[in-house]
Amino acid sequence: MPKTSRRRLLKALFFALPALAIFRHVRPTRHDDIVEVDGWILKRSDLA
Amino acid sequence: MIFQDMAAYRAASHTPRVAIIGGGVAGITIARKLDARGIPCVLFEAGGEDITEESQDFYRGSTVGDQYFDLDVTRLRYLGGSSNHWAGWCRVLDAYDFESRSYIPHSGWPIRRADIEPFLDETRAILGLREFKATYPLTDNFGRMDLIKSDAVRFGTQFRGELEASRNVAVVLNTTVLELAGDGKAVTGAKLFSAGAPAGDFTAPYFVVATGGLENSRLLLWSNAQSNGAVVPNAKALGRYWMEHPMYWAGNAFITNQDALEFDDEGECFMIPTPPAMAERGVANFHIQLETMPYHGTKQLIAEMACYAPRFTEWVSSAIGMHLQCSARVHIDWEQPPVESNHIALSATERDAAGVPRMELHWKKGDLDRRTLVEGMRMFGEDIALKDIGRLHISDWVLNGEDYPSDMELAGNHHMGGTRMGTDPATSVVDANSRVHGMENLYVAGSSVFATAGQCTPTTTITALSLRLGDHLGRTVAS
Ligand SMILES: Cc1cc2nc3c(=O)[nH]c(=O)nc-3n(C[C@H](O)[C@H](O)[C@H](O)COP(=O)(O)OP(=O)(O)OC[C@H]3O[C@@H](n4cnc5c(N)ncnc54)[C@H](O)[C@@H]3O)c2cc1C
Repeated sequence: MPKTSRRRLLKALFFALPALAIFRHVRPTRHDDIVEVDGWILKRSDLA
Repeated sequence: MIFQDMAAYRAASHTPRVAIIGGGVAGITIARKLDARGIPCVLFEAGGEDITEESQDFYRGSTVGDQYFDLDVTRLRYLGGSSNHWAGWCRVLDAYDFESRSYIPHSGWPIRRADIEPFLDETRAILGLREFKATYPLTDNFGRMDLIKSDAVRFGTQFRGELEASRNVAVVLNTTVLELAGDGKAVTGAKLFSAGAPAGDFTAPYFVVATGGLENSRLLLWSNAQSNGAVVPNAKALGRYWMEHPMYWAGNAFITNQDALEFDDEGECFMIPTPPAMAERGVANFHIQLETMPYHGTKQLIAEMACYAPRFTEWVSSAIGMHLQCSARVHIDWEQPPVESNHIALSATERDAAGVPRMELHWKKGDLDRRTLVEGMRMFGEDIALKDIGRLHISDWVLNGEDYPSDMELAGNHHMGGTRMGTDPATSVVDANSRVHGMENLYVAGSSVFATAGQCTPTTTITALSLRLGDHLGRTVAS
């Protein structure tokens, strides 16, 4: 599988996870656009 | 000149100006520096030219507090010392590591990095290192640091020929200094144990204790106990403020911009926080080590999946008989703050084959250690997300404040403090020249003089400090 499509697949899988309501602990950080979710440090836009 | 024991050395009628105790990185470096100035010195080395069980047994001891390595495994007791098994990872303490920080009690050195800089070219020549590259900014709060993975010079073998050929340096193998005697102003002699038996006393105008970052404290504590405090007259800090570099695998990351990180040939890269970033979060110095997974193709796909869907990946990887992890492991190694209660003591019950009390290491990580671990990971995770370099997941044990895992690396085998450098005899043992406070002719070399540990491996700085001490001693002895 070419690198880019593999990335795209993984990204899609990854970003689907919040929708599946797997994450529980959401913690704000010092940056408005960054959150800590179950130990993952993510951009808010990752969760959109 | 190399002698196998004290009897052979005495027969040679050599009259040294300096007696160096310990033939590891520090001791050999100082001996070579004195040799270059034509100053006769003797170097007593407890072990021979190879590892033996008998010699290692002298290093046995116990640890009270946090889990640590066996004390006879974390160091080697023969010519070359622990350089016989060091990994050769090199870097010098940064300038800010020498400065005190208001939020870390007892931090800072009485010297500055500029004091060791004149010796860095010589240090690089000894350790076979290229020039260090400057740290370059990676994110707002982190720089990519240059850590040189060198060929790990084994000092005993590398410099054996030179020491043997020297007319000034006499290396006396299989000869332990059991204790020093003093009168509260100067060392008056050393009690020796050679080739398995007591070997009388020995004296020289100057003494340098260079027996390693644990043993320096033990030798001086025992000397003080035997001489009623006449070897280290200001002993409040003796054995205390001992430090390590705790290191743990504390998370995983998915890297989206590999080019920004410049991984080395082994797929690793190292990042350090800026001083303002450390101060803002109130954490000690640390480095983040990213270790990429050595997988390709389908294995790599599954490994990367481990970041996104760990449970799913566990099932897949067990189904295909592999245990694959997220695409980069995130390790954190940090500077332990100097804390008085972390100390080396003499055992009240256990003695070695020569009758010297064994070592008891009292060592515990504290609140600032925990804070540096958690906040250090958060700082890095936030920064790589902001810059779109990747996404980091902090391990549950870190976030939940669980006990430190016992199945990870634990620490660096870096033994620092115990005879720390400073200006105040209440909180330090040696002065800016590495001379024991109040003693005219007693010096200490090695990482036991570190006042603050920084985040990097110690031996490059040990070598530079030893060259500086050798230079100072050379001038002192000559005058
Ligand atoms: C597994 C491992 C990996 C490491 N990797 C790295 C690394 O990658 N980078 C890094 O910077 N550092 C590393 N280190 C640390 C490094 O090995 C030490 O910092 C360095 O060896 C210290 O040098 P030293 O001369 O102060 O002490 P040592 O090397 O311990 O030498 C002390 C010498 O004194 C002798 N001695 C002891 N007691 C007496 C006595 N009473 N009388 C006479 N002689 C005595 C001993 O036999 C020994 O030869 C590592 C250590 C270990 C254990």
